[in-house]
Amino acid sequence: MTISKKTLATVGSAVVLASMTLGTGAAMAQAGELRGNIRVVIGSTSTGADTYQNSSIVTDALAEKLDLNMKVDAVGASSAFRTLDRDSRGNTLMIFHDYAYLGYLYGVEGFSDIFEKYTIGPTVSINPGNAYLVPKDSPYETLDDIIAAVGDGETVRVAIQPGGVSEIGFSALKNAIAIEHPGQEDNLVAVNTGSQSDKNQQLFDDQVDVINGSVQANEQYTRLPEDDQKAMRFVWLTASQDTIEQAPEEGLGQTSREQLLEYVEPNANVTMGDDENFTFDKEFFFIYNKDMDPGIVEQIDEALAEIYEEGEIQETLKASFFTPNFRPSGEASEHLQEKMARYQEIIDNIK
Amino acid sequence: MDFLSLLDISFFLLVAFGALVGIIFGAIPGMTATMAVAVCLPLTYALGLNHGLALLLGLYVGGISGGMVPAVLLNIPGTPSSITTTFDGYPMAQKGEGERALRVCVIASVIGGLVSAAILFLFAPLLADFSIKFSYVEKFLIILLALSVIASLSSNMLIGIFSGVLGIWLSLIGDYSTTDGGNGKTRLMFDFMEPYLFEGFSLLPVLIGIFGISTILLEAEKGVRSELSSSRMVIGKAAGVLSLFKGRLTNLVRSSFIGTFVGMLPGVGGSAASVLAYTQEKNLARDSSQMGKGAPQGLIASESANNALTGGALIPLLSLGIPGDSTTAVLIGAFTLQGIQVGPLFIPENADTWYVMIVALVFANFVMFFLMFFAIKHIAKVVMVPKHILYPIIVMMCVVGAYAINYGIMFDVWTLLIFGVFGWLIQKIGLEVAPLIIGFILGSQAEVYFVKSLESAGTLSTFFTKSPIAVVLWLLILASVVFSVVMSLKSRAKGRQEVLS
Amino acid sequence: MESDLSNLLSVSVDFETSHLFFPTIINWVMAGLFLVILVTKLIPFLAAVKRGERTLPILGESMDTRRFFGTLVLIVAYFYLMVVVGDLFPYTGYGFLFVSMAFVLLMSLLYLHEWTKKALAIVAVNAVVAPSLAWFVLAKLFTITLP
Repeated sequence: MTISKKTLATVGSAVVLASMTLGTGAAMAQAGELRGNIRVVIGSTSTGADTYQNSSIVTDALAEKLDLNMKVDAVGASSAFRTLDRDSRGNTLMIFHDYAYLGYLYGVEGFSDIFEKYTIGPTVSINPGNAYLVPKDSPYETLDDIIAAVGDGETVRVAIQPGGVSEIGFSALKNAIAIEHPGQEDNLVAVNTGSQSDKNQQLFDDQVDVINGSVQANEQYTRLPEDDQKAMRFVWLTASQDTIEQAPEEGLGQTSREQLLEYVEPNANVTMGDDENFTFDKEFFFIYNKDMDPGIVEQIDEALAEIYEEGEIQETLKASFFTPNFRPSGEASEHLQEKMARYQEIIDNIK
Repeated sequence: MDFLSLLDISFFLLVAFGALVGIIFGAIPGMTATMAVAVCLPLTYALGLNHGLALLLGLYVGGISGGMVPAVLLNIPGTPSSITTTFDGYPMAQKGEGERALRVCVIASVIGGLVSAAILFLFAPLLADFSIKFSYVEKFLIILLALSVIASLSSNMLIGIFSGVLGIWLSLIGDYSTTDGGNGKTRLMFDFMEPYLFEGFSLLPVLIGIFGISTILLEAEKGVRSELSSSRMVIGKAAGVLSLFKGRLTNLVRSSFIGTFVGMLPGVGGSAASVLAYTQEKNLARDSSQMGKGAPQGLIASESANNALTGGALIPLLSLGIPGDSTTAVLIGAFTLQGIQVGPLFIPENADTWYVMIVALVFANFVMFFLMFFAIKHIAKVVMVPKHILYPIIVMMCVVGAYAINYGIMFDVWTLLIFGVFGWLIQKIGLEVAPLIIGFILGSQAEVYFVKSLESAGTLSTFFTKSPIAVVLWLLILASVVFSVVMSLKSRAKGRQEVLS
Repeated sequence: MESDLSNLLSVSVDFETSHLFFPTIINWVMAGLFLVILVTKLIPFLAAVKRGERTLPILGESMDTRRFFGTLVLIVAYFYLMVVVGDLFPYTGYGFLFVSMAFVLLMSLLYLHEWTKKALAIVAVNAVVAPSLAWFVLAKLFTITLP
């Protein structure tokens, strides 16, 4: 051996030491502001789905405004929360949608009360596409038909993905049936499936009568001729009338906004009792580490306010069939908490 | 033919560039085609739809193909779908036939890719209608058929099956995911593990841990003496590759069809394609006794199937709006980013884009072929890099791959080590790696399809009576099992004879 | 008869506990197989070990302990320090870059048998170049998040 182990250890530790001195330098930047590289983790693992698309539109605009490196990483809900937990410096932010609190309401393992554990950031947009569909040759023409049929004791099976955005519409429907036809609500049966393809498949296979889907994913199926096994028909969009009215006039594909409006309240009603109708807008919002500097919360609020003021982002969002919906963090937190309370009621009712 | 005007020189350059980058991604252990497509997705926004697709399809084809390189030369599957390539590729490389093995792989790949592109072009809507006939029951039976290879792949059937079941068991750790329609509850672990293991072990880190890290541990134990073996591995002549394909046409065509078919079924993961093709070659070929010990026919089956996956996975994407594998799931982002809907009306409504995609796919396969075929000679020299240089780099790249596969999760890196040690251990105590890993790959899908079938039917008889397709699948499974039993008895009898004489 | 058969085959899966349905089956199958292996292979094997005809795996084999455990220790330190250092420069990939350099260097030295000047120079250059290249291409060019 020509070189001793001691030299070796010195070289190794020197590298580590050198990096540490560099590190303290980086940490000296001004407090209360975003700095360095920012990672935005999202609650979905898919880079082809709405959460990613939304987050990257918003993050890109934000990165440009603040002149920072920002990157969206599709790590999935459980990993996203965990990553956020560990970083209070503001280098990690999260964007997710209503599943963040719905998962908690439905008691899904790994979810906790986000309003307690995190700081809620601004809402940025809505995906108005959450929909329920039936086969084109279904005997049920409208949502009222379905409610009436279940009320008459018919069993109607609905394919949903358990525990989240997909289930809340089902729960509301069940609740409405419990109100209008007490005692009959158990005839509405949830069939727990996974991806959109599984839900479609169940419908083609006559294993279910209704599926949860979306305008984006299922619009083309609604334009197939009736004799096609795959043809479907919308019966209900859960978004509020107000939200759909903000969609581009040409709608999506060849289904215009006007046509879409036929499937929302007041044309398709799901009662919550007391003359109140159930609606559900799937909203995207920021979630922060509880201990993150309030200065950063403010900074992002301001930057986004400016971005929305300029108006360009609205066009980008609308082009991808999202409804822009900016609320600064304080307002957003209040709004979402109210929303959660409403849905809590529904879920408690049908337990 | 309007679409011809869309094909300019930059279009072809992008395909070629994509294929090249894809090959590099695929060839680095731990980096996959999916990752290549994912990191380039934002670029496509600036490129526009057609040029963006050119790049992404090039990446897709290149990425899937590149996986063969480390599979053959280092015994580490570059992408999960090249797992069965290691079974015969690495033994060949050890015999000094690395270059030959790679040539076989490249030819099989390009044929698989082209066959599937042709099938995609000619029959996409028709096949999409066929694919929706596969419900949970039929998909479970397909997984079962792929699992049946475990019996014939193992050198000792009892130990092999045990290893396979252990692999399935490992794949079940974590939550029964709500995205598969499960109830989201965790099992097979203690509460304190939940923060790390909520989603279970990820496939890719497990694979490169068991193959990459444990190989290094085995070598470290022996003192890492590289000189001897690498001089033996200096590549011999690679002539006569084409003659290896003699009599293998059925295999080639069958495997390409299987690859396309598995790609076409949404939810049945890509790695099932090469496993299934390998199973069928093992069962149906006249002489398959050398498979697993360095037989080119195994390479042909594995590589033609995994490249055929590309065309297959695009079928449901373009005619149902549903991705056929993980890479096409990312690809769907390219369409949504451009505001293009994919669904049953995509092809009629976007005929130009459809033709452009076919051209890109075919061209990507040719580019991949030429790039690889002529680069092989140089690539194969990787095995001559001294181990004390090569191994640290492999560990480093495995770390990058494991960390990046789920967009930056540290536990995936620790998974590498856990399964590296585990892989070392099981080889020491005589369990079999190949069946275990196949069990792991297919286990969680087997669960979902099995449990969901029972949930909706409420009786086991559904597996037999659901449809004619189910019956056919049962016959194939039966044939596969009978075959492996007969083979095992035969080889035992042969062994006895040799002992006697 | 027929109804008996269908009764026998009927299974109801409760959604709330469906996450345990398949694992339970696998547990039993695994236990059964293990028992068979225990009786047919393991006990005869252990008996042979006792008689001194065969040796235990791992314990009864010779190994290059320095390199084997050195590898394990290096990898553990590598993974651990990567995060620690990376945490100092959030999401820049420097943690990966610096710690990889140290790791590649140390592991190469561990595996190197003849410490000649030339070999050491190659090792040192490689330890700097390889991680830098990986870091530059992946973290910078492709903006992949690294520790």
